[in-house]
Amino acid sequence: MNAGDAVVRKLVTFGRILREAGVEVGPGRIQDALRALDEIDLRRRDEVYAALACTLIARRDDLEIFDRAFRAWFEKDPTRLGGKAPELGIGIDERPQPPAAAPRPGDSEDPDEQDDQQEEPDVLAAYSADERLRERDFSTLTRTELLRLRALMVRLVRVLPTRPSRRLELAPNGFQIAPRETLRRAMRREGEPVERAFRRKKRVERRVVFLCDVSGSMEPYSRALVLFLQAAVSAGRKVEAFTFGTRLTRLTPYLGGYDPEASLQRASRAVPDWAGGTRIGDAFKAFNDLYGRRGLTRGSVVVIVSDGWERGDVSQLALEMARLRRRCHSIIWVNPLKGTEGYEPLAAGMATALPYVDVFLPGHNLLALESLAEALRASGSRRARLRPATLWSAA
Amino acid sequence: MSSNEMRDSIDGVQQALAERSYLADRGLATTVHLALKLGKPVLLEGEAGVGKTELAKVVADALGARLIRLQCYEGIDVAHALYDWAYARQMLYIRTLEATGDARQGEEVLDELFGPRFLERRPLLDAIACDDEIPPVLLIDEIDRADDEFEAFLLELLSDFQVTIPEIGTITAERRPVVFLTSNRTRELHEALKRRCLYTWVELPDLEREIAIVRARVPTAPERLAAQAAAFVHELRTLDLTKQPGIAETIDWTQALLALGQEELEAGVVDLTLGSVLKFHEDIGRVRDADLQQLVEQARTAADAQTPAG
Repeated sequence: MNAGDAVVRKLVTFGRILREAGVEVGPGRIQDALRALDEIDLRRRDEVYAALACTLIARRDDLEIFDRAFRAWFEKDPTRLGGKAPELGIGIDERPQPPAAAPRPGDSEDPDEQDDQQEEPDVLAAYSADERLRERDFSTLTRTELLRLRALMVRLVRVLPTRPSRRLELAPNGFQIAPRETLRRAMRREGEPVERAFRRKKRVERRVVFLCDVSGSMEPYSRALVLFLQAAVSAGRKVEAFTFGTRLTRLTPYLGGYDPEASLQRASRAVPDWAGGTRIGDAFKAFNDLYGRRGLTRGSVVVIVSDGWERGDVSQLALEMARLRRRCHSIIWVNPLKGTEGYEPLAAGMATALPYVDVFLPGHNLLALESLAEALRASGSRRARLRPATLWSAA
Repeated sequence: MSSNEMRDSIDGVQQALAERSYLADRGLATTVHLALKLGKPVLLEGEAGVGKTELAKVVADALGARLIRLQCYEGIDVAHALYDWAYARQMLYIRTLEATGDARQGEEVLDELFGPRFLERRPLLDAIACDDEIPPVLLIDEIDRADDEFEAFLLELLSDFQVTIPEIGTITAERRPVVFLTSNRTRELHEALKRRCLYTWVELPDLEREIAIVRARVPTAPERLAAQAAAFVHELRTLDLTKQPGIAETIDWTQALLALGQEELEAGVVDLTLGSVLKFHEDIGRVRDADLQQLVEQARTAADAQTPAG
């Protein structure tokens, strides 16, 4: 075995370690890394580090994993990783495992599973069960019913909001002459622009950002909502999903893919604070600092799903809602409790947040989610600022 | 430093950039070196104001190459990025032909109408069709602002460095341009695009390096002032601010202090010029609430530790 082989072997193993730690490293990247190593001084640590980092890694979040793996593998630094490669995945994931309450499709030890099997004939028999499901409160649904709900939600996803694009498209009733097409038509008539073509602004999807409360009080509703988000994200729509309880988690990367069960499983593993407490103000601050500032919310419709039970400081919530409001197109607040009779937004957090909210909706069942879809569609074109007072009585 | 040495080694890159007042660390220099050697685009990500765009400019200068810049925005399309036909001139030309009674065949006229003469080159085509001795540096700035579709289009361009214009044919780059893409991470870029690039996260520098950068960029500033300004900005970064000041802000601010004839940092002047460092009303309020005098003192101490001559 010559020296070149040793480098290749070492690099391939290193790639495998990174993959186990959750970084996507394809063979193409390994090849690039090998070419890069040819161009640098292999004795210099900083050069090797930079060459591998810029070829193997493609996002900032992965740099930390890379750093640890690099130390452990190339420098045999046992303090970093406990020496053994397979532990890498565990060593890096320092987040607590989600409690069993999180939806875990495909997990046969799930106690829900037995319930489901007993209910199976019922579910299979009823085509019109759709109607019944529409009005069932999410908190009383079993897992199978939740999955059936998803099919309904896929239909809902089709009505997300739009905004005018900078691009133009040909349209007979457009506002501007389309020179390219006009000239083309003129060619047919000996260069005389008899027939004029017009264009207008094309409409493209407006981004929707979901912020879902996954604290104890909200857990059953959020579970249903994650199904909705999965449907939206996997349909390739411009949707960003976040969950918050005691901390903020970006869910979007976990929700893609064709297999809803697998992505739900990934998502529930990614959320460390299912059914915990809530500090809405802190979570929104984290959101504004990390994502809002980068422009994620600019021009997008923000949907907050929460009961507004704030266990932290209410004044911070007001501050962060104001910041959020300045950066987005409109805010829709979905509160499952609003579906209960005689509800009034008395929770301190809810009362604080309401002045910044454009549309305030119930969200306790699928019928209510349909009204969310309707509000989303309407919110695309213009700011439909509704008086909170009128909405309270509408509940 | 000739552009050849810049191409040969990492030391060469580092030195050539330093001569142009850009102090790159070893990691960044390695990436630039690899980009030149492997002919791959570089994707630079990092907070605003850490010198992503500046790097491309300086590399172009060091190579003696032309810098072609494409600023991305939402809704950017082929007509803005690649090429467009000069419709108005085409129309006028047709009229002129009619008026002068030009007797050429239609085919011939058409070829002329849709030939290079009436083609308006936009930055991407400019970079590919460029016939300079030294290939140009193409800077695709803030790619995260463009739409997904535009990214897909870039993907094709960046792998083959050729474009097809239906009326003319395929144009292939004779020499591949050096490509830099920058992103502020307002959204995640597509995996496929990233795979074609060398990825680099540009960090804010540590105090020592930042002082060196300020001194390189504002050579007329007294050493103490440069050190204290950099140290003060470092203090600011530890506060909980909406927008952390970048290196660009430190340099701006030092220039502002210099213009006011300052030799050293003083709380009064800091208060007056805070607007060159902080760009949010809330942040300015927060810093004024935190003891300004004390921050200045801390910055002075930190700066003294960095400049032994004192």
